[in-house]
Amino acid sequence: MQTVPFRYFNRDLSWVDFNARVLGEALRRDLPVLDRLKFLTIVASNFDEFFMVRVAAIKRAQRMNLGRDPAGLLPEEQLRYIAEKVKHITNETYRCLNEEVLPELAKAGLELIRPAAYSQAQFEYLENLFLKEVFPILTPLRLEDDAEPPSMGNLKLHGAFLLDNGKVAIVQIPTALDRIIWLPPEPDQVKPWALLDDVVMLWASRLFNGYTIKEGMLFKVTRDADFSVDEERDEDFVEAMAEVLQNREHSWPVRLSCTGNSPVLKERIAQLLKLDELDIYEMPGPIDLRSLSELAFIKGFDQFREPPWPPLWPVELPEDEPLWETLHERDVLLQLPYHTFDPVVRFIQDASVDPRVLSIKITLYRTSGESPIVKALEQAARNGKQVTVLVELKARFDEERNITWASRLERAGVIVVYGIAQLKVHAKICLVVRREDNGICRYVHLSTGNYNDKTARLYSDLSLFTINQQIAQDATLFFNMITGYSVIQSMQQLVIAPVNLKRRLIELIDREAKRSSQEYPGKIVAKLNSLADVEVINALYRANQAGVSIQLNVRGICMLVPGVPGLSEHIQVVSIIDRYLEHSRILYFANGGAEEIYISSADWMSRNLDRRIELMVPLLDASVANTVKGILFSFFKDNTHSHVLAPDGVWSRRPPETDEEAFRVQEALYTELKLASELSRTAPRQEFIVRRRPPAE
Amino acid sequence: MANRDYRLVAVIEIGSTGIRLVVAELNPSSDWHVVDRSGKPVALGRDVFTRGIISRESMLASIAVLRNYRELLNGWGIDDPDIHVIATSALREARNRDMFIDRVFLQTGFKIVVVEGIEENRLMYLAVRFALQDDRPQFSRSNSVIIEVGGGSTELMLLRRGKMVAAHSLRLGTILVDQQVRQTMGANIYLQRFLTESVNNTCESLNVELDLSHIKIFIVAGSDARLVASRFGVELNKNCWVVDRRVFIEFVDRIKGYSIEECVQKLRIPFAEAEGIIPGLLTYKLFLEKTAATELIVPNASIREGMLINLSQGVDPNLQEEFYSQVIASAINLGKKYRFDENHSRHVTALALNLFDALLTMHGMDRRARLLLEVAGLLHDVGMFIRSSGHHKHSQYIVANSEIFGLHQEDLDVISNVVRYHRKAPPNATHIAFIALQREDRVLVLKLAAILRVADALDRGHAQRIKDIKVEQREDAILITVMGSHDLTLERLGLEEKSDMFQDVFGYKVILL
Repeated sequence: MQTVPFRYFNRDLSWVDFNARVLGEALRRDLPVLDRLKFLTIVASNFDEFFMVRVAAIKRAQRMNLGRDPAGLLPEEQLRYIAEKVKHITNETYRCLNEEVLPELAKAGLELIRPAAYSQAQFEYLENLFLKEVFPILTPLRLEDDAEPPSMGNLKLHGAFLLDNGKVAIVQIPTALDRIIWLPPEPDQVKPWALLDDVVMLWASRLFNGYTIKEGMLFKVTRDADFSVDEERDEDFVEAMAEVLQNREHSWPVRLSCTGNSPVLKERIAQLLKLDELDIYEMPGPIDLRSLSELAFIKGFDQFREPPWPPLWPVELPEDEPLWETLHERDVLLQLPYHTFDPVVRFIQDASVDPRVLSIKITLYRTSGESPIVKALEQAARNGKQVTVLVELKARFDEERNITWASRLERAGVIVVYGIAQLKVHAKICLVVRREDNGICRYVHLSTGNYNDKTARLYSDLSLFTINQQIAQDATLFFNMITGYSVIQSMQQLVIAPVNLKRRLIELIDREAKRSSQEYPGKIVAKLNSLADVEVINALYRANQAGVSIQLNVRGICMLVPGVPGLSEHIQVVSIIDRYLEHSRILYFANGGAEEIYISSADWMSRNLDRRIELMVPLLDASVANTVKGILFSFFKDNTHSHVLAPDGVWSRRPPETDEEAFRVQEALYTELKLASELSRTAPRQEFIVRRRPPAE
Repeated sequence: MANRDYRLVAVIEIGSTGIRLVVAELNPSSDWHVVDRSGKPVALGRDVFTRGIISRESMLASIAVLRNYRELLNGWGIDDPDIHVIATSALREARNRDMFIDRVFLQTGFKIVVVEGIEENRLMYLAVRFALQDDRPQFSRSNSVIIEVGGGSTELMLLRRGKMVAAHSLRLGTILVDQQVRQTMGANIYLQRFLTESVNNTCESLNVELDLSHIKIFIVAGSDARLVASRFGVELNKNCWVVDRRVFIEFVDRIKGYSIEECVQKLRIPFAEAEGIIPGLLTYKLFLEKTAATELIVPNASIREGMLINLSQGVDPNLQEEFYSQVIASAINLGKKYRFDENHSRHVTALALNLFDALLTMHGMDRRARLLLEVAGLLHDVGMFIRSSGHHKHSQYIVANSEIFGLHQEDLDVISNVVRYHRKAPPNATHIAFIALQREDRVLVLKLAAILRVADALDRGHAQRIKDIKVEQREDAILITVMGSHDLTLERLGLEEKSDMFQDVFGYKVILL
């Protein structure tokens, strides 16, 4: 598909390949049906974001004649290749849905009943529902050829109708109602369901009295969301952000998804939206699979899911006492989501009520107002602690949510910093300052994942609690920097983007190359979500040429071309797609025996390294470093959910070698922690914890 | 409540190029460590050294920074008594400084203390000593210079075998230089010529105090030097780097042609620091070339650390005495400059201190007063350099206009008055310099001068014949018994003339036995 020789893969095609790997999970016949459905909805929702952001950006590049990308492709070529790949994946998705998942669901008792199969009782039930609840909130609009088209909101499902007078009308499927309608079951059914859009389409003639509907079609428009606020408007940033959110509803369209049953309507709507053939995606089945995720998480039906891995409490931490004392003894590593996120929440809750705590500082990127962390912070401020929160309003698609709870925090007396001009704050760090008997003690929590209790159950992340003085000092300076108290100051341990993270990264890679020799070849092992920075990739190529062995576990985009003789023959790239979304970033350098290991919030993309505030932190506690090294290396042993990237850009599943046992890394990590947890529970007590002082005031 | 022997203190420094903050934890063992640092550029120096006043914009910017710092300090729970806000040369020289101080107080609650140049020296010395620790034992055996080029002034100390010979606050600062170069010649090419001339002139007068070519140890404080040190230096200890002389000179030669933009880009430093870096480093290089030092010692020390040491070790008597001895060394050197009769001066000083110590309960003065008396004793006759007649008046203005390491202008104001009244007429309403003093200081002058007059009378012949005295306090008189047998006619005559003030001030007659 791409011409050889090339040094880089195209970023967006590589992303599409990632989504194909996600679809690969849905295609697995060994997976229970609800898990397969979940992966199908993820594929669909991933594409929604991809079109809103990336395809929109390429289209913009095309209009601005930006020329070729690092892989040597022009924007129009990229768009063409993307469309080809996505259409292929879409077909696969619906084949899987229609031929495998829906029938399996039906077998499981969750049968989708389409209009032709409604029983008498169900028909009456739905008609009644339509008349009472749906009809009153439908607003049909007639499309005029010469007039401005009516607004069709981003990602909103619409019905389109060709009337017998040749006119076209559209109606939005109400979002206020659930798309899935549970039907009264017939005797042979367990829990049948119908789609709201089917109901609307079936009774739509009621909207157009006096006309006959000749054809009907469902469609959805995806619009450009890749524009940001006007950074000049410092003083009313919150307001500017709110405007952006409004504009996103009406920005220009990039994709039309539709049921392909009416060529006439498809043509008319595409014309109206000024989209051409490349941008139209026909879906033979229910479109907007994203909204079916409710079904994937339905209660009951656990036998149609993989057995859960209930989150564990880390054995190093006391279950019913504050964490302060433990952290004086050692650093503590959390492995989310195998470990529960509760210690992080508890840490902040403890801090909010502890009379010795002076201040709490935290960066919040994607979190919810319902989040117990936000509540604890609010409480801390009311308790007279100084609480400083950096809220990143610019976290894409979360802006709206952020604005509301940020102002609530402000009312509680929290010092809220609404981000930094031109830069997104993506670092995840929390600092608690506590006055103790022997001096000030600073507790730092650093993470590769957000302070979001919801995603903490689905994303695999690492986070570290430490009171290391140097890291604590750096954390203090870091907050001074991002809250505007100070200019950038030099740090001892933390590495910050965009200050020096990229430079440091390249230095570390080059150092490994320099140290590498025939006898002691260097070794770099890294785990990332995306690898898309040309300078870093070039450094990796240089290291390869110096004989350094490089193992990369890249979940998503990888622009690096592995396995090319003379360029990258020592580089191996794998990708793990499994139950949890791989999200942690880990780096390992053999460094001639003086091994170094880091965790980071940053992906190796220009966006992260140059335009975001990110952190990279060395793991200084030997035992933690060792654990993380073990975790990192085990990803390369996976042979059930691992995909290997070939020099030609093709990803293929890595099967177990003939004499190899199956190894599933996510399961292995969980099992190991579970074992440790059980051991510590069943181990007989060696001593009692005697309290000589009354519990902390 | 747990015992918490440590306390948190904050030092905020309002400098020529920025406002910087440090928060430290002080422990009872007079140990301390920094827990927070901040810095924001505000171009006060550029305002003051070009137009003489702080502009409205800079004032607003300063207040904004200080407001932020207030918020930051609230997070540490530090209250006003533990917050020390000091200002250096830019504010010191600003014509609208009082207004600035008042505005800052009203809007942020911070009370700014303007630090004298020479006090800046003292704090710097404390910081340097601290950073150096005992890792350069030759410090006490060789001659050294401690130098810091700031935005508006250069602090410079010369030490002979570890003892302070001179301390100066020179009007040579990076911003100042920049302005002068631009005004006079308009292009940066002339910077080096201009600086070379300034440094040459300065060194000529410094050479009088200590031959610079014998200086073996070259200590540079200041952020510009720290930048070089962090790049090319070898760590001496955790607070100190050592940079090879050749390496330093080569580096300066390499970058001296850079524009400010190039400095930002190639050296990766913030713009605010880039502005002064070339004149700063050039000045160090020029001074370095006048000395025999083979390396630069760069301590991670600033006036802020000095202030912290001052706060943490304020009660450490050893350090305090060490410091006083540096003050005395500096005063003696000033005396030498004016070819004072060293034997007489030291002798009178010894007698005066003898009286001071013996009469402690009577006069109730503190250690600082004793130091002022000691310096006044050493310098009471420096005016002889000008002319014998009226030499007390000449002594007064020499002292008032000189720099002595470790002494504030207020100290010098007291000492110069003590010196003035070591003979002849007592103060009266036309003596402006005396009247300008605070009331407590006027009393202090009278008490010290009264003692000094008696001591001076006891060496009337400048022959140091009275070696040892015993002092007794009676109902209405002080009895001074001279050990050994001497003809005391001359001294009695002297006392007759000069003990009047003692009697007026303390109410006791002085009787020589």
